[in-house]
Amino acid sequence: MNIGLDVGSTTAKVVHMEDGEVIFSKVVPSQRWIELIDDEQGEKNIVSTGYFRKKVPHFAAITEITTASLGARYHDPDVQVIVDIGGQDTKVIDLRNNTFVINDKCSAGTGAFLELAAHYFDIPVGSLGELHSQATKGAQINNTCGVFAISEMISQLVGGFSMEEVIYGLHQAFALRIAQMVPPADTVMLIGGTVQNTGIVDAVNNMLDSKIEVPGAPQLVNALGAALYMERLNDSR
Amino acid sequence: MKETVGITALVPPELIYACGKRPMDVNNVVPESSLSPGSKLCAWTAIWRDMILNGGLDIDSLVVVAGGDCHNALVDGQKVELSGMPTHYFFYPFDRDTDYLRSQLDKLSKFLGGIKDERMFSLIRDLKSKGRALDELRVNDRVRASDVFSALISFSDLAGDPDAFEKTLDSVPETDVEYSSRVALIGVPPIYPDFHETAESFGLHVVYDELPYEFLRLYGSDLNSLARSYSDYSFAGPIKNRVELIKDELQRRRVDGVIHYTQFACHHTLEDEIFREHLDYPILTVQGDLPRPSPEQLKLRLEAFAEMLEVKP
Repeated sequence: MNIGLDVGSTTAKVVHMEDGEVIFSKVVPSQRWIELIDDEQGEKNIVSTGYFRKKVPHFAAITEITTASLGARYHDPDVQVIVDIGGQDTKVIDLRNNTFVINDKCSAGTGAFLELAAHYFDIPVGSLGELHSQATKGAQINNTCGVFAISEMISQLVGGFSMEEVIYGLHQAFALRIAQMVPPADTVMLIGGTVQNTGIVDAVNNMLDSKIEVPGAPQLVNALGAALYMERLNDSR
Repeated sequence: MKETVGITALVPPELIYACGKRPMDVNNVVPESSLSPGSKLCAWTAIWRDMILNGGLDIDSLVVVAGGDCHNALVDGQKVELSGMPTHYFFYPFDRDTDYLRSQLDKLSKFLGGIKDERMFSLIRDLKSKGRALDELRVNDRVRASDVFSALISFSDLAGDPDAFEKTLDSVPETDVEYSSRVALIGVPPIYPDFHETAESFGLHVVYDELPYEFLRLYGSDLNSLARSYSDYSFAGPIKNRVELIKDELQRRRVDGVIHYTQFACHHTLEDEIFREHLDYPILTVQGDLPRPSPEQLKLRLEAFAEMLEVKP
């Protein structure tokens, strides 16, 4: 058994693999990561990743840059660029030359930015994608700062735009921020829990000239990559 | 007691010692500072400016490198001058014009009171030769990069005392360095005092420190040879020359990857795209602002870069 445990800022994910196949996966809020650990398994088969990777039981702890690379290639061996949109940061990895950039100084372009907007509208963050699809146009929102974007949202609501149109504009601003970090590429894979928001995928797709790929369970890719790394370690033991 | 001359970037220390004075690179105190200047672009210049204005640096005059390297220093240097500090402005030529640099060295020499002890030229040339030998030991994995960096970075002023500095060089301990990957550090030096130790903790052996290597590479035995050598100062000239020099060193030192350190609000940050286009190595770009122990954001990037180079996912 090879276990990948990804304990991030918002959610904790686990993936169990056997013979190269995923046999189990689960997602819980980060604070409840302990529910993902089976005492009988111990830590000897766990590779951990995410913000809390060194705080949870593990045989080895590796960064999300490595797990994202392994996990994304499991889905598409030829993928060129990965965009991992996390709760607190966004990582762009160019697999062609082993380089990466991390945006962790600005909330615009991270899950936190969308949480802030959903909180303002008093709606679940999971409903943003559906509301995005109901808009036929978008309100102009600057992409400079997540906090100031809220005051822009309010101005656009006062100016007559609907909530759906403001959310559409918000996703465009989010996507522009992401697009500025992405190098030209044939294929770009979006991963991370935020990618479950179809409005974000739509906005990024409109912004980039690349073919956009979203794997089946985008929030599990890092846990999957960690499990694959455990598999490597077990194979070399 | 010799007069102390503050220098804000590379100024031939040979000339300052030959003029009977002792240089103090005002940047060397910045990484250990806890100041948070209110008015700043780059923290390097803002902190030495505030330290001088507050009387926290014991210097008698200041030489500001205002042309060809740090542009923020031109303004912060003038703030220091307006406070009453005797200040001289030193300009490198962008086009490597040796005659121009010779004229700059003449003016600097006059500001410093003229050459009094020519023996300092050869003494410091010999010390730089010793520094290059130490650098080679690091390339051959015989000394820790953190030990080498702290020695080489002081070649801009030889710590104010060449004799004591030679003893410091001699005391750098030899050891078999274990690491996972060899990296180069290009750009201005990191403002984090523990940067090299942090890199080492992730298995990264820094085998090239770009700016300190410039301190070793340039020397001379009189004003003419100083002008010839220092007109090749790579940070002051066209970046294409700097890229070629870096390429040679990356190959010679067999590096696996390159770390480009950039400083918030420093114009050198704009060079990152050029390096990424012209250096065919995995490149990690990191940015610092205020001097502090290495922050978690930097550690995450170094750890991930080390994994990228070692695990090759």
